[in-house]
Amino acid sequence: MTNSTPSPENKILIASANPLFLKGLEKMVLGRYGESARVRATTTTSETLDLMESWQPSLVIVDYDDKSISRAEFLHQFVAGDLPMQVMLVSLQASGAVVVYDRRTLTPAQAQDWLSTPQNQPQSKAPISRRSSSMKHYVFAGALVLVLTFLVDLVLSVTRLLPVQASLQAKPIDRLFDIEIVAISFLFSLIVVFIGYSLIVFRRKPGQDEDGAYFKSNNPLEIIWTVIPLGAVIGLSYLGAITLGETRQADPAPLEIKVVAGQWFWRFEYPEYGIVSDKMYMPVDKQAKLTLTSMDVIHSFWVPEFRVKQDLLPGENLVRELRITPSLLGEYKVRCAEMCGTSHAYMESPVIVVSQTDFDAWVQGELAAIGTDPAARGERWAKNNGCQSCHSVDGTPGVGPTWQGLFGQSVELMDGSTVVIDDAYLYTAITSPNAQVVKGSTPNVMPQTYKDSISDDQIADIIAYIKSLQ
Amino acid sequence: MKNFLSIGFVTGIIGQIVGTAIGIGLLTGIRAMMGLAPKSEPAAVLGAALGIIGFMIGVGGFRDWFTWAKGEDTYEAEEFHDRPGVIRYWGYSLDHKVIGVQYGILSLLLMVLGGTFALIFRTELAQSGMQFISLDFFNTLIGMHGMVLIISILMGISAMSNYLVPLLIGAKDMAFPRLNAFGFWLAVPASVVIVAAIFTGGFDTGWTGYPPLSARAPLGMQMFFVAVFFAGWSSIIGALNLIVTILRMRAPGMNMFRMPIFAWAVLATSLIALTATQLIGTSFQMVSFQRLFGMGFFDPAKGGNPLLFQHLFWFYSHPAVYVFILPGLGIISELLPVFVRKPLFGYKWVAMSSMGIALVGFLVWAHHMFTSGMEEYLRVPFMYSTLLVAVPTGIKFFSWTATIWQGRMRFATPMLFTLGAIVVFLLGGLTGPPLGTVATDLHLHDTYFVVGHFHDTLFGGYMFPLFAAIYFWYPKITGRRMNETLGKIHFYLMTPSFLVMTFGQMAVGLLGMRRRIADYDPAQGFQTTNLIVTIAAFLIALSILIFFINLFVSARKGEVAEGNIWESRSPEWALLPSPAPEHNYAQPFNVVGDPYDYGLKGSKYVETAPQQAAD
Repeated sequence: MTNSTPSPENKILIASANPLFLKGLEKMVLGRYGESARVRATTTTSETLDLMESWQPSLVIVDYDDKSISRAEFLHQFVAGDLPMQVMLVSLQASGAVVVYDRRTLTPAQAQDWLSTPQNQPQSKAPISRRSSSMKHYVFAGALVLVLTFLVDLVLSVTRLLPVQASLQAKPIDRLFDIEIVAISFLFSLIVVFIGYSLIVFRRKPGQDEDGAYFKSNNPLEIIWTVIPLGAVIGLSYLGAITLGETRQADPAPLEIKVVAGQWFWRFEYPEYGIVSDKMYMPVDKQAKLTLTSMDVIHSFWVPEFRVKQDLLPGENLVRELRITPSLLGEYKVRCAEMCGTSHAYMESPVIVVSQTDFDAWVQGELAAIGTDPAARGERWAKNNGCQSCHSVDGTPGVGPTWQGLFGQSVELMDGSTVVIDDAYLYTAITSPNAQVVKGSTPNVMPQTYKDSISDDQIADIIAYIKSLQ
Repeated sequence: MKNFLSIGFVTGIIGQIVGTAIGIGLLTGIRAMMGLAPKSEPAAVLGAALGIIGFMIGVGGFRDWFTWAKGEDTYEAEEFHDRPGVIRYWGYSLDHKVIGVQYGILSLLLMVLGGTFALIFRTELAQSGMQFISLDFFNTLIGMHGMVLIISILMGISAMSNYLVPLLIGAKDMAFPRLNAFGFWLAVPASVVIVAAIFTGGFDTGWTGYPPLSARAPLGMQMFFVAVFFAGWSSIIGALNLIVTILRMRAPGMNMFRMPIFAWAVLATSLIALTATQLIGTSFQMVSFQRLFGMGFFDPAKGGNPLLFQHLFWFYSHPAVYVFILPGLGIISELLPVFVRKPLFGYKWVAMSSMGIALVGFLVWAHHMFTSGMEEYLRVPFMYSTLLVAVPTGIKFFSWTATIWQGRMRFATPMLFTLGAIVVFLLGGLTGPPLGTVATDLHLHDTYFVVGHFHDTLFGGYMFPLFAAIYFWYPKITGRRMNETLGKIHFYLMTPSFLVMTFGQMAVGLLGMRRRIADYDPAQGFQTTNLIVTIAAFLIALSILIFFINLFVSARKGEVAEGNIWESRSPEWALLPSPAPEHNYAQPFNVVGDPYDYGLKGSKYVETAPQQAAD
């Protein structure tokens, strides 16, 4: 523990009322100094002081935590004496630190040497000089933390990190991002600077072989860096909750859009106007209430420029809602954000934000386009229901058979029978796709929900459209 | 030939082939007798499951238990001796050090495999448009990359804990040596089965396997489920063993607060693995049964709910990420004091923070579901609990910083990787709060920002510490040191490449690149960044190639390690020669001090107990 061994005769006095302390130290001391050492133990102040006088121990070890040994009285007597003696105050509780007093008598010449040669300096002096120089290190490192925080934050805030902000909901979200970036910059700088500073300033230089500074623990410090982050995360959560609330503010009279997703298409229905479209038109500055549902697997509605995201679940009882108020004219894309199978990457549809006038014009155009030719109507329904994401109309192979030249073919089914593709077969194939699967195709790929989502009239139009594709 | 057939691994593989054939034959045969057409899926699932059991019989995993069942005696685990030489790593051993190395070999093999998958799809992503693989193969690869590396990580953690824990706490072996070997070998056929998923049609769900998509994915999905089920079983067995070992087999004098900090980390990890792994097994089993028997657990048309799966799944899979990182954080805390020559600052706080992370980790799973459509109000309490994880994690960071402060740093390769781990994990940690805060997560969820975030946490919390551990303890395994120059090249090549890779991933994620997409819209403006990310990925692969060269060459040509090469206080360096002898400490030791009192002159952590121990 101390590097100077009391010699030639080791007389060691251990003062503690705690028998465990006594026993442990006695064992250690004997192990260290061997048989030459003599150890005596005391349990009260007066006993200790008496023995110090009469027995003249070379080393006294005092239990720092023990109230039955009066430290003040003990030290008083120690300072009064002049024989060589060392005292160790050992604590078992606080971080295991040890205080050492070294009493010796020196001639003036020895004192001169002692003062001038650094290697003779007693250990107890080191912490004092270290403390003042370490203050300097803390100040330097602290200043560097501030500089680096500023720089990191600057770089992150001038870089374009996010896409254009195009909805009212995006505003509070982006504001929260800014706060988070400041916090990240600070915490990053704090840790990196202190570690980096330590690496450069305190690293082992060539020829040095001693260990690092010995300090083990500091409970107040630990409590500080537990409580402050705790406060910070509660604060951040609170801000997060407030921001979430802002994005969910509901307008009493929104534009309703029903969003239906399937593998791998988007369909947008405007119940107020009776329009079904594969593009989402939205009037600017008017809140849209999206009701979201899926026909097969889980998809996720996300327009990066709008920031907010919501999964679409299959099942009538799992319809979800999302409020979006577009605030910037332009053409964006809704991109499916939940893995949904083969063509997930391509599950994108245009989202077009227009002025209210342009929106009304689009509505009129859509309504007028529902004309009298069943094949032309069928083309519309097919497009709006996403049929073409699996069935091409120009002979290109896809997930499902191409529609070009499909009508009138005779095909072999999985059960071995042969059918001619006619009106009746196509109706069955659309409404219950698993009933008559063509040999070589996989069942369960085509959604089985079209009989509910597309009206019989529309199916008849789609069949007319397929018929026209010869 | 006879020699060849005496190798456990070989008989195991034969057992697996036989078991698979029996499983497929049994079901097909029964159906044929009933006059039904053969059905591939149930046959394949039964085949895969019986194949794994066949492997366990073949490798000898049941031998001793069968003997006991007959009422006969076997040798004690301590009387067990391995065949000398490298051959012992190929057979059924009961020695924790051999099993640790076996885990390590399996882990590194899977790491190469999972990394190769990433290189393939990263090449595809270097440019927009599909260049050389199909959409379905791409989708299979991303799922495989995820799950193969998760199994690799679980194996790597088991490698470290199996090899180190008994050595560090002064035990002769693990508490249950036979169970230990059983747990390891279970993971081998499971790994074979997961690789088989590629050849049975793959699957297009990513590693999360969400139904309804996973209920309609190709047959490969079932192989994935079976493999994860058994790998999870292996993990549970390993965790149980480690908990008992740590609680019951410590050297005299080693109270809980004198344990090496790594033992605390392993204890926390094992508690999670023991209690949560069942949930992922169950959730995958339920999807599997939905497919096999039409049980509509997650099918809305049959009254099921797809969200139920997500709850069950994340109830394991979130705590699982702490399973992945806690041992790595333990390695950081273990190695830092050795190389800065200072005590670990706030030992008790660091130890307790591991337990704190493990505890809080159980309360945060629904933060993966902020946009999933679960009950909306749940998002707020889960945001609070999620951000709470920052508190114990912060304690670790501050404690590491205080440990390094005024340390006399020595920059050996293990130390470089430890420092790399701290910085990379810091980036992973700091990118967490934007994801944990619901409002910003609405934008970030399922984007490449998440990908960047968890690559930071897993590299910082697992990969870097794993490399540090390998460079540090390799001499204890082989008796030779790894080459320092190659080690430094590995570090200085991998670290910047890795940082560039994850910064790139986060940047494109913020701009709107979705996770798991095979192709991207050039209009979104992240072509260049994706190219850079791909190049960085290849540089990481190159650095890991250098690591493997070092690993193999040093085993024969490395500098011989004599004595306590790191001047560590830990018993395996202070008391044992390298390589560590069979059954560890010939003479038991007593713990007489704190583990990390570097800089306290004359203090000791362990000393060999005198033969006539005082009582």
